[in-house]
Amino acid sequence: MKHRSPLFTLAAVALAFAIMFTVNMLASPPGNSSAEPASPPTPAATATNSTSPSSVETAAVSPSPTATKSAEDSRFSEKIVYAGRAEDGAGAIAVAVLGTQSAAYFCDGRSVEAWYRGSVTGGDLSLKSKKGAILRASLDGDHLKGSLRVKNERVRFEINEAKKPAGLYRARGSKTTIGWIVLEDGSEVGIQTTGAKSAPAPELNPEAPQVTVDGENLDAAPVNGDEDL
Amino acid sequence: MASVPVPAPEAAPAQPSGTKIVPVVIAFVIGTAVSIGLGVYGRLHTPTGYAVNISGFSTGPAAKAFLATIVIILAIVQTVTAMGIYGRIPLRGAWVNPVHRWSGRLAVLISVPVAVHCLYALGFQAYDGRVIAHSIFGCFFYGAFVFKMLILTRDDSPGWALPLAGGLVLTGLTALWITAVGYFFFV
Repeated sequence: MKHRSPLFTLAAVALAFAIMFTVNMLASPPGNSSAEPASPPTPAATATNSTSPSSVETAAVSPSPTATKSAEDSRFSEKIVYAGRAEDGAGAIAVAVLGTQSAAYFCDGRSVEAWYRGSVTGGDLSLKSKKGAILRASLDGDHLKGSLRVKNERVRFEINEAKKPAGLYRARGSKTTIGWIVLEDGSEVGIQTTGAKSAPAPELNPEAPQVTVDGENLDAAPVNGDEDL
Repeated sequence: MASVPVPAPEAAPAQPSGTKIVPVVIAFVIGTAVSIGLGVYGRLHTPTGYAVNISGFSTGPAAKAFLATIVIILAIVQTVTAMGIYGRIPLRGAWVNPVHRWSGRLAVLISVPVAVHCLYALGFQAYDGRVIAHSIFGCFFYGAFVFKMLILTRDDSPGWALPLAGGLVLTGLTALWITAVGYFFFV
C-alpha cells in the first residue's frame, strides 16, 4: 500500500522553498523598498495559516512580506570598513558596513572589548552588542562620526575608511575569540578572550592571518559587516 | 493524510517477510542527493549578505533564532508523539497521530524561511568548526527529511527504517539549533 500525503508534504516544502527564494530574489535588486506591514505576522498567524496544505503558500510567505531595507536606503558604500582610535585614547574602533548590515568592534587592547551588530539606515548606523550596549554613528563627509558607551562612559570617535590590509579581523577557536583592529599606519589593537579572561591579542599578519592560541591554530577572517558575531 | 507509519501498536515491528529494502535504499539515495545539492548550491551561490527580513524582530539573526526555537519545540512534540505511536510511552488517543503529522509539517515549514536565509544570504561556509558543522547539518537535515517522507509513502519498509529516518531528522535539527541558536543566545 502506498501513501501519497508525505509526497504532498514534500511538494509543499519544496514550494515553500521556491517561494522564499523567489521573494528573496525579487527583493534583492535595489528599488524594492516596501513599507512595513501594519502588524508583524505572529507565530500564531503562521500556525493558523499552515493548518491546511493549500495554505502552505501563505504560511511560507507571511513571515516575510517586507523586503529588508534595500541598498538604496544606504548612503554608505556597498562594502566599506572604517577604523581609527577613539577620542581620549579610550581604545580603537572599527566599523564594517556591507549592504545594509553593519558590524563593529571596540577594544582598548588590554581588557575592554565589545562586538556590535546592527543595520544601516541612510547615513546612520545603529548597532548593539550582545549585552545591549549601543553604538551609534553617522556618515560625516567621508568620516564616520559616532559614540558608544563603555563602562558607563561615553566614548566618541571620528574615524576614516580603513583600506586593506587595515580593517577589522576576527578569529574564533573552540574557546577563544580574538578581535583585531588594524589601523592604516599598520598598528594593531586587539584582544583575545577565553571564557571570561581577556588579554592582548597575539600579533596578526593580515597577509597571512593565522595565529596559534594554546596550541590551536586559528584562522582570522576580515569582518565585512554581515557576520553573526 | 495517512503519513502515520504504524496504525496499531501490534503492527509496529513490520513483518520481516513482507518488507522491502530497495525502496528504503532509493529513498536514502534521493535524500542524500538533496543534501549534496543544497550543499553545492550553498557553496557555489555567492552569498548576498542579506535577505528578506522577517519583520517584528530587532535583527535577522534574532528572527531566525526565534523561528528555529519554535521548530525545536515542535521537534520535541514530534519525539514525544512518535514515542507514543511506537508504544514506548503511554500516550494513546486519536489525537496522537494527527499531532505528530501536523507538528512535523508546521516545523519544517517554519524552518524554510530560516534555511533560505542561511542559503541565500550566507551560503555554505567553512571559516570555523561551528560554521562548518552548521552548514553540513543544514544540508543533512533536509536530506533526512526527504528520506523520511519517502519512507512514509510505503508500508512495506523494514520496521527500523522510519525510526531511523526520524532520528536522523531530529539529530540534524538538534545539531543545527545548537550550532546556531545556542551560540546566538549563550555564547
